[in-house]
Amino acid sequence: MKLAKPLLTAALVVALPFTAFTQSVQAAMIGVEQMQAASRSADGDAARAQVLEALSRADVVAELERQGVSPEAARERVAALSDADAKRLAEQVDKAPAGGIIGAILLVFFVLLLTDILGLTKVFPFTRSIR
Amino acid sequence: MRRAVCAVLLAAALAGCAAPGLRTLDGLSGVPPRVELAATPFYPQQDYQCGPAALATVLNAAGAATTPEALVDAVYLPARRGSLQLEMLAAVPRHGLVATRIPPRLDALLAELAAGHPVLVMQNMGLSWAPSWHYAVAVGYELARRELILRSGTESRMAMSFNTFEHTWARSGHWAFVALPPGTLPASAGAAELADGLIAYARLARPADAARGFAAAAARHPDDATLAVGLAGSQHAAGDHAAAEATLRATLARPALPAAGRDALANNLANLLAGRGRHDEAEALVAPIAAADGPWRDAARATLAAIRAARAPKAPPAATR
Repeated sequence: MKLAKPLLTAALVVALPFTAFTQSVQAAMIGVEQMQAASRSADGDAARAQVLEALSRADVVAELERQGVSPEAARERVAALSDADAKRLAEQVDKAPAGGIIGAILLVFFVLLLTDILGLTKVFPFTRSIR
Repeated sequence: MRRAVCAVLLAAALAGCAAPGLRTLDGLSGVPPRVELAATPFYPQQDYQCGPAALATVLNAAGAATTPEALVDAVYLPARRGSLQLEMLAAVPRHGLVATRIPPRLDALLAELAAGHPVLVMQNMGLSWAPSWHYAVAVGYELARRELILRSGTESRMAMSFNTFEHTWARSGHWAFVALPPGTLPASAGAAELADGLIAYARLARPADAARGFAAAAARHPDDATLAVGLAGSQHAAGDHAAAEATLRATLARPALPAAGRDALANNLANLLAGRGRHDEAEALVAPIAAADGPWRDAARATLAAIRAARAPKAPPAATR
């Protein structure tokens, strides 16, 4: 624990000049993601940061683990998303229904069998479309 | 009586059967009557894991060595028994390949197959109100039989009629993508889809590899400012400033380039030039954009300020902190 502070300081000393350098060079260069987002003001970095922030909340971590996903793996996935996709992900995960569809599958078994045979669906491997 | 009701239902169902998407095949030309990418590997899916299996199929077909088991962590949500589309796309650049969505049309899908690119497709095998989502890989077709050939689930060679496929595919919003090495272009994708795929790829790739991908796309779409900015940016990041400058100048010389794109390119060129001490040239490029009311005005003003600051005599160093 005592080592943590000097290590952090050392890391900052190394990292800071580098950050400043890249920022000064890139300050006014228009990035390709900016081009892609064009008129949109909210940046993908903000969306990713927002998703990552949500990922550190205790209740979200618990829910992730319940779904069988390690928070580290989730973070890696978010980092690999493009700007546009990061924004969409936030919406998708918000809207996605929690429950399964087992009940519905039992209910529509016979409907699907019929529509499979008609060639409208392909649920059961043993059916052959008549069309 | 009951029989009559059934017959009516059946007739109604049959009348509504021909998928509208099949019409995209009417104008189809220039593809062979029959294609089968037989060398495409097959990974029979385990449990509900069609996502990792389909992904492993297209990744290995494009030269990345991986297995469905290795992909489960990246794209499979156990509790939901499925994989999100976004994660399927996001996993591709992590294996050194570019994922590009293809246009939502059957003719585009066949064009990719004819070009030798297996296509990962999302289908809803159930009904819109009782979805049964599925990922599969299209590996061939036969026009005479009006059939698509797929690696699907536990079947290494599933032949599905165009009509059935179109119905199941339409219910996923015609979602499909190809995974290809940078520099190899999809046959059907437009400039926007190419840019989407390459931008996601460039976030993880070495700049030189990203430049290779952008260069191929920009060669096909020389009037696309986003692709040019991507190419020049990758070249710049790779340390090849001369190539970046040449890219921006060549695109700026295109008469059909849209005005907003022209401003963005000029701004970036000004930054490049200023970085190499050519302040007058840089200021002449960017000053009109900073004065006008275009979408890139603020970026141009920042550039102009940076140029003027670089030109101003150095302030004496502060005595103390």
